[in-house]
Amino acid sequence: MTDIDAAEARRAIEHYYEQGWTDGLPVVPVTESYLADFLATTGRDPDEVLIPMPHLNKNLTVRLAAINAALAGCLPEYFPVVLAGWDAFLADGMVTRSIWQSTTGTAPFMVVYGPIRQRIGLNSRGNVWGSGFRANATIGRAIRLGAINGLGLKPQVFDQATQGTPAKYSCCIAENEEDSPWPSLAADAGIGPDDSAVTATVIRSVLHIEARHTTIPEQLAAEFADSLCRTGALVRPRASGYVVLNPEHARIFDKHGWSKADVKAAIAEQGWRSYRDLARTGKEAIAGGTGWRLPANHPDAAPQETPDDPHTPVQLIGSPDAVHIVVAGAPNAGVSSIVETFGPFDRAPAIAKVEEK
Amino acid sequence: MADGILLERAGIPAVSLCTDAFKITAEAMANQMGFPGYQYVAVPHPVASRTEKEIDEMARDALPNVIRVLSAGMTYQEVRPS
Repeated sequence: MTDIDAAEARRAIEHYYEQGWTDGLPVVPVTESYLADFLATTGRDPDEVLIPMPHLNKNLTVRLAAINAALAGCLPEYFPVVLAGWDAFLADGMVTRSIWQSTTGTAPFMVVYGPIRQRIGLNSRGNVWGSGFRANATIGRAIRLGAINGLGLKPQVFDQATQGTPAKYSCCIAENEEDSPWPSLAADAGIGPDDSAVTATVIRSVLHIEARHTTIPEQLAAEFADSLCRTGALVRPRASGYVVLNPEHARIFDKHGWSKADVKAAIAEQGWRSYRDLARTGKEAIAGGTGWRLPANHPDAAPQETPDDPHTPVQLIGSPDAVHIVVAGAPNAGVSSIVETFGPFDRAPAIAKVEEK
Repeated sequence: MADGILLERAGIPAVSLCTDAFKITAEAMANQMGFPGYQYVAVPHPVASRTEKEIDEMARDALPNVIRVLSAGMTYQEVRPS
């Protein structure tokens, strides 16, 4: 540390603040030579466009992604994961549909699978949602800074989020494949054991599920279904999300002979609310044009029959493939989480392979 | 905002409308599209939670401004994005 002029380092950090190139936290100064270290980890052209945003006259290129990964505090060897993350966001399709300009205020969310987790120190165990782990913290932040600086989505300007979510600072976890009784989500998608991959989508929140009280799989499935189907999360007709099971919950299901597909099917089956529950919050009908939920007496509501019995179930999870299961966290308590997404409602999440040079 | 500017560029008179909660974003978009000073009409926020009658009143109140912007033509020098 003796050869560093701390005041000079602070001046560099302040320069980035003055330019508006941060998420509010200090960023790491980036030089041409440091940028070259990042670009050297990939065979891809620095000018290749990862995310086109034509209506904003912006293109997020490999070079811009690298600059923002460096600003975020990534090490160069993390960059292939960041690139796979952007590839998955492109395949997911929400980002290019301008979701980050929306008042909803979604955060980028990634899950990493495969051997790269150990190589770069991605946490998949205790405190998986953070904080405390450089690879998780900075890879997630690289996406957010890429959105702010690369795509020009500055808060209160083009990012019109009403409140946003703390997950916007960074939200990247890894699947705890070692403590899981099942193949990973990537393996389910056909990714081989020697390959690494990233799934990505945008999320509205991460919900804590406290379920230390039961070892009955049906009760656990009902617990997750209830939270996935909370009325406050319902915008569109259907619900969807990730269920991030801690290994203890996953093992309870496995011990009773439930496969991952069985868990998804059970959660989907219990994924309903009564008509009365929906009507109580004014979300019992669907708008003809937008497909958004609203009260039945709203002028935009599509005609529908009111059930005679208010307890009639209204199915909200339409398919087991609206439930995306990942195992993560420490095997030390019955604590899991739900990640609230805007789909996919009937297929697996978008996934991209990590390509290391 | 972008749609209004693109329509104007295609030679079709257009007026962009937004609620006053989105003015900063609207003007940032006009700048981004190379059209700083682009004239648009801001109406009171919100829209989604108003009744049909209230929306009709808003439309009536906004109409003189819509006509003003429509009949003004391209009053600002347009700068194409580089």
